[in-house]
Amino acid sequence: MGEAAERLTGLRDAEDRYDIPFADIRTAQVEAMNERFQERKDSIKLLGHRAREAGLTEICSHEDAVQLLFPHTAYKSYPESFLTDQRWDRLGKWLDTVSSHRVPPQDPARIADMDDWVDKLQASGHYVSCSSGTTGKSAMLVASRQDMEWCKKEAVAAYAWGSGITPAQDRRIFGLAAVAHVPRNLATGEAYVAALQDPKVERFAYPVPPMTVGSLTAMVVLRKAIAEGTAKPGDIQKFEETSAARQKAVDDAVGIAAQAVVEARASKLHVTGLWLGLYSVARAVRDMGYSAKDFHPENSIYVGGGLKRAKLPDDYREFVYETFNIAPERNYQNYSMQELHSGMPRCRAGGRYHLPPWVVPLILNKEGDTLLPITGSEYEGRAAFFDLSIDGRWGGVISGDKVSIDFSPCACGNKGPTIRDTIVRYADLEGDDKIGCAGTVDVYVRGVA
Amino acid sequence: MNAMTELDVETVSAPFFLRGVLVEGDDVIHRSRDLGVTFTTPKIDLNQAVFPRTEVPPLLNVPLAEIIDFLVETGQRIQDSNNGFMQECIDRMCSTHILPRAVVENQARYAATYLDKRKLMAEVEQNFPDPKALDGWVPKQDFTGRKSFVRAFAPRLIHVLPGNSPGVAVKSIAQGAMVKAINLFKMSSSDPFTMVAILRTMADIDPNHPIVQSMSAVYWRGGDEATEQVLYRPQYFDKIVAWGGGDAISNVVKYLGPGFQLVSFDPKTSISMVGREAFASEEILDTVADLASADVMTLNQEACVASRFLYIEADQENADRFGAKLHACIAARAAASGDVRPLDMDLREQVEALMMMDDDYRVWGRPDGKGLVIRSDEPVDFHPINKTANLVRVDSLDDAVKHVNVATQTVGFYPFDRMTDYRDRLASGGAQRIVHLGEAGPSTIGNPHDAMYPLHRFVHWMAHEDGCGTG
Repeated sequence: MGEAAERLTGLRDAEDRYDIPFADIRTAQVEAMNERFQERKDSIKLLGHRAREAGLTEICSHEDAVQLLFPHTAYKSYPESFLTDQRWDRLGKWLDTVSSHRVPPQDPARIADMDDWVDKLQASGHYVSCSSGTTGKSAMLVASRQDMEWCKKEAVAAYAWGSGITPAQDRRIFGLAAVAHVPRNLATGEAYVAALQDPKVERFAYPVPPMTVGSLTAMVVLRKAIAEGTAKPGDIQKFEETSAARQKAVDDAVGIAAQAVVEARASKLHVTGLWLGLYSVARAVRDMGYSAKDFHPENSIYVGGGLKRAKLPDDYREFVYETFNIAPERNYQNYSMQELHSGMPRCRAGGRYHLPPWVVPLILNKEGDTLLPITGSEYEGRAAFFDLSIDGRWGGVISGDKVSIDFSPCACGNKGPTIRDTIVRYADLEGDDKIGCAGTVDVYVRGVA
Repeated sequence: MNAMTELDVETVSAPFFLRGVLVEGDDVIHRSRDLGVTFTTPKIDLNQAVFPRTEVPPLLNVPLAEIIDFLVETGQRIQDSNNGFMQECIDRMCSTHILPRAVVENQARYAATYLDKRKLMAEVEQNFPDPKALDGWVPKQDFTGRKSFVRAFAPRLIHVLPGNSPGVAVKSIAQGAMVKAINLFKMSSSDPFTMVAILRTMADIDPNHPIVQSMSAVYWRGGDEATEQVLYRPQYFDKIVAWGGGDAISNVVKYLGPGFQLVSFDPKTSISMVGREAFASEEILDTVADLASADVMTLNQEACVASRFLYIEADQENADRFGAKLHACIAARAAASGDVRPLDMDLREQVEALMMMDDDYRVWGRPDGKGLVIRSDEPVDFHPINKTANLVRVDSLDDAVKHVNVATQTVGFYPFDRMTDYRDRLASGGAQRIVHLGEAGPSTIGNPHDAMYPLHRFVHWMAHEDGCGTG
């Protein structure tokens, strides 16, 4: 890592890391992005291609960096047939085009399935996380061991800043969501346990089988088989049964989790999960006759992601906070995405998400091709960032999120750039009622989504 | 900030047409997503959008010949460059449509050529064993001596129109008129203008003609429950004629039930199959590449008949020879059309990923919208669009048949003398047309569309049983 990148990522544990005005680090960020570019342009094949297309040999400005950003879809650009036909060697070859460190050739004959592919890569130092994509295809993000170590430390540091809680191994963690069983989540989960969980009590295990990369992609594989007409009714039946069993486990987990939370109510808790799961458990806890007065006044909460299209009553947040006795100041929120290795914790006084100095804001127009001015008061655009901490792949990414960013000081007093708590996905903003006669076989596939 | 960006773009107004009357107003603001343009429409008077069942449809007793004469005159006026309605429409279209102006103008002109007396008669004659059933009650008698009269009775139709082709607007008007239907056209956000412009042209001929009195065109956002929940009922309409798939159809499907049926024109993908005979000589290969590019570039690849996947019976070296030629032909057609839309970011991303994959894929051109060919051993899993062809190498065209599916519409074939060997298997896979390579566009007048004879399905078949008596 170059000197400027080293200096900026070195601020990870600095008390004042969110209080640095953008103008003060603007030049350092450009230098750091260029350092990263020089280190990676020959090792990340796609980056080299981008640079040649753009005619860039160095990053001299934020505008230059924009030309080298990867859209989040770059990580799902592999042909799906690699999964359906189990072409693990080719999938590895694709992964190599977006990886900083060479992905070793793999013998497909020695790989049993998707999860085995992920495991074998991990043994060679490549940690593949995958997202459950809204379009059906999963993004595959490769990271290094160094990245995993960074994620562990950064997640807890951001939590401590955002929640004002000094980790003291004095809580019981209740994870109330079936978290995708991918390296990044496992690393941060492990870090939270090490920092917060009281070692004297056993951690609550959410009673739903983990979703592995293989199970996340199984649906994609079936969908393609249906589209091609090769899926037999029995294949669809088996998938439906697996889905129903999983749904039952999720439904049953609500009661089990509510029971466990109630039993632990005298302890100091850290509740975490997604809104739908948290709301369901809160509902069950209320039905059992318990509410805020029965829980510890210093309980904390961390909710990952947005609503994810779940339909909940308007007051779902308040309902959850009031059930578990979460004081507003211990409600930790963080803006991040699978494509980044750093978070933007929300401050308690201003309610805004704060960018750390090693995450370069590159807010673009809606189309994602033009940089908006990185200065002044609040404006809206497509979120794009360069995360200088990322080692295993390119740090520059264009997201699908619409955000409002502000470069003037936040109400909480911190002077770094901030994002308003109104983040939405462009894809969710406007449905499309455009109809054409041309279309794909995808619309002939029903029920697997 | 949001308000500001909305004011930045021009707002165009899209009036409605309700049974001969132009309805103007800017009560509702809509967005056309393609270009992020906003357009305004009046509020729909739903009472005006339906026609009471206590009254017979206005066109019922207008002879088919008179209807066709009216349509033919409409066609002439659409093509007349002094027609202000059409000129204004093309101006507006260019602000909401993804295609360049020259393409839009050509499409409108070409669309009007459908309004030809012989074509329209052929359409009717192919759809109905006895077209007289449209004009009156046709006497029937079975082998037992039972007698009756049968009528292809005028239906009440809602047409949910696509926005990618004015040809569909013209065809829908003609077909709706020829079956003497009461027609409500629900326009698309990417073209809320053409239908109204044509109907105004018709009203200019005779505002009181029953054909004009039978046509209404409105816009609401597809899936808008406030409108669809009210209108989509058998008491108001017999059939809903819908284009498209996905959300467009699933929105409609929930309203279907006894008495309210769907006639769907499904979204389709077209392909080409090129046999090893293409390599007989360099000249033949040049010709075949040009024919293939014509199919790829039909309506600049916006239409369902436009080829997207081309299966080539060759080894890799020959496939690559063909790929290079195909790319040159597509690029030439793209340049000639003036269409310079670059590829969407998602598509560009997927193409670039394949470019990184060395020998497994080969790409001619760049994802810049100037024409692109991708050679692979399996069809790519994205939808090739915007002047993009996927050349899939196969050892035998027999291997390509498995890639034909329920979404396959047209299969352009070379050489022509092998078509009969393949047509049964293609039909079994789901395909609807097999055509000479290079002729994806034209079809025999009156031939089935979307594996059916649509006019035959539009009408309300009514029987008048007249007993067995001699008297």
